Amino acid sequence: MRRPDAKVVLLGGASVGKTSLLRRYTERRFSDSVSTVGGAFYLKPWRALHLSLWDTAGREQFHGLGSMYCRGAAAVILTYDVMQPQSLVELEDRFLGLTDSASKDCLFIIAGNKVDLTEQGGEGDGHGPRGPRQVSREDAVALYKKILRYRMVDEKAAPAAEQMCFETSAKTGHNVDLLFETVFDMVVPMVLRQKAEEPVETVDITSQKPPKRTRSGCCT
Amino acid sequence: MEAGGDAAAPAPGGAQDLEDTQDLEGTQTPREETGDGGVQSGPPDPGDTDPEEAGSQAEDEPPSRLSPLPQSEVLSSTCEHWSSTASDSSPIHGPESDSVGQGGDPSDENWRNQRKHVFVLSEAGKPIYSRYGSVEALSATMGVMTALVSFVQSSGDNIRAIYAEDHKLVFLQQGPLLLVAMSRTPQSAAQLRGELLAVHAQIVSTLTRASVARIFAHKQNYDLRRLLAGSERTLDRLLDNVERDPGALLLGAVRCVPLARPLREALGTLLRRCTAPGLALSVLAVGGRLITAAQERNVLAECRLDPADLQLLLDWVGAPAFAAGEAWAPVCLPRFNPDGFFYAYVARLDSMPVCLLLLGTHREAFHAMAACRRLVEDGMRTLGALRTLGEAANFSDSQAASAPAYSVQAVGAPGLRHFLYKPLDIPDHHRQLPQFTSPELEAPYSREEERQRLSDLYHRLHARLHSASRPLRLIYHVAEKETLLAWVTSKFELYTCLSPLVTKAGAILVVTKLLRWVKKEEDRLFIRCPPKYSTPPAASADQASHNGLFTGL
Repeated sequence: MRRPDAKVVLLGGASVGKTSLLRRYTERRFSDSVSTVGGAFYLKPWRALHLSLWDTAGREQFHGLGSMYCRGAAAVILTYDVMQPQSLVELEDRFLGLTDSASKDCLFIIAGNKVDLTEQGGEGDGHGPRGPRQVSREDAVALYKKILRYRMVDEKAAPAAEQMCFETSAKTGHNVDLLFETVFDMVVPMVLRQKAEEPVETVDITSQKPPKRTRSGCCT
Repeated sequence: MEAGGDAAAPAPGGAQDLEDTQDLEGTQTPREETGDGGVQSGPPDPGDTDPEEAGSQAEDEPPSRLSPLPQSEVLSSTCEHWSSTASDSSPIHGPESDSVGQGGDPSDENWRNQRKHVFVLSEAGKPIYSRYGSVEALSATMGVMTALVSFVQSSGDNIRAIYAEDHKLVFLQQGPLLLVAMSRTPQSAAQLRGELLAVHAQIVSTLTRASVARIFAHKQNYDLRRLLAGSERTLDRLLDNVERDPGALLLGAVRCVPLARPLREALGTLLRRCTAPGLALSVLAVGGRLITAAQERNVLAECRLDPADLQLLLDWVGAPAFAAGEAWAPVCLPRFNPDGFFYAYVARLDSMPVCLLLLGTHREAFHAMAACRRLVEDGMRTLGALRTLGEAANFSDSQAASAPAYSVQAVGAPGLRHFLYKPLDIPDHHRQLPQFTSPELEAPYSREEERQRLSDLYHRLHARLHSASRPLRLIYHVAEKETLLAWVTSKFELYTCLSPLVTKAGAILVVTKLLRWVKKEEDRLFIRCPPKYSTPPAASADQASHNGLFTGL
């Protein structure tokens, strides 16, 4: 296995469905998943590249590791639950700061999961509590624009918000493939461009030399 | 029912270890741990599935068992309070325990009927965890517990336990956390305390003691559930295991996968060879059982890994969250250092249930650990170990000698149903890896209630053997549905469960056979020579000389 060419990270509050989205995509099924511990790494061959996918824990307990998972990320999929307005607020409050360690031109994608629970989500199986959706698509678009401002990216230079905001259902599979494959396809040219431009810019902290003594070496 | 009496000496070499066990009924000494932790004088819980059984059985107990309450441990006024609560809860026919207790309202019968409750709360009385029911509904109950604790504290003392009729309440204060067990199982207060310590260790392993202390120092009424969200299931599993698969916590030992010694040693060598920067500990496990482990000298030098920490890791990697992908998560080893995190790489090898855990000190070392894992995986493939271990994991498909789980039939002692065996005659420098072995729980212990009953019996016997005031060496105990023999010598600690029809002489024969079998198989059942610490190329060779501290694993 080679070192992955680019990193895609799933971020979002607890139980918004990050692991379920990934499972739906990779295993084509939906199952009640368990609370993720830390982060789980998956390798995804895509076109000629190897993409690494990090499924992170949404629990506050693992918050400290967030920026580590995001380091050098080429894309961050911010996930919320369309039935939980708080989960969208959390994206801004808790998770946006973690992406400071992502790559400079990191892509931001916003995914509103669990649309099968909304009254409009017609593809659901008709079970489970349904109700009016709590988060509108416009809210997600507004968040996307806020992120661009936060990252100091010109709105015109970045991909359009409409293109980057998804509404998905891990349960029915609605938009799940579209979400991941759109992201992967956008990451590929980024990686190729980077490869052409510059040597990989990563810091290998394991080989860091111990700090030099203040006294400079003199010839003895 | 108790045929304890004369302790007919099992023959197998060690008669000098035997002591008269006394009639068990006669040992109702008014001393704390003895009086309560002992084998009950009535027929031990016939263990029928109905929770009512346990309740009514307890009522049948002679009052003498209840009267000698040690004053030092009991607050008479509060005791009254609790006993009144307890008696209110006289069991009503309810559905089987596991599906119930969602409500958590203390007036809810199902909730009250649970055999054992475990609560964790903050010093301020804020609920953090409850084994059954929702903690929200329990604020008032938890308030009472806080009141009990602070009432005793105000007189410059600490409350440890309350004995109220058939219930035991055990309190454990750990920093800003208060842990309470409320049980009508036959577990002794010491055993319950051990369980509470394990629960606390589990919490510390996810948060560290330092951060728990910091949080509460900063905000006394902080709701710790925010940080523990998702960890409740781990605590539930820990507590379930005490009843479903007794051994690890009871004996303070880890269970090893039976494996041919050459293969285990080869795996140990492999783990030592595969290193990564900052790697502290490598563990191979399957289904919560240890295959082998190797500890890095340069990181954990001078430190022994506590078996409780190792058990915690074995439980932890068994979590369903680690079933897919390669996980990278922080984990704290409470006995090693309750205030710091290690970073753990956890992956299933070759999509087998065999699990590799690499514990390191570098936060960002994921890729180095992943590379290390591939080395281990390749090495194991070369050894053909994955196939062997994979077979072992599917106990039902394979009765092969290499199986990690084995049937009690393998012993070839008819009448023997189950046993726990913990060797004590291990060389001194291996002492840091206490191990035990036991066969799979098979019929008649396939159902949960039956397992619970067996676990109760083992706990009773264990409490008797290890009673602080009057320890015993040998117990022969005739229960309604089985006969048990527990025996501790300088060489081993043994609990056997035999057919109820066995005679005393027959039991001795079975135990003799079992001991012979264990002796013959010990190289396979146990890690006889735990791998020495790896010596990474950079480390100086002068440390390689033997040091007892280093050879724990």
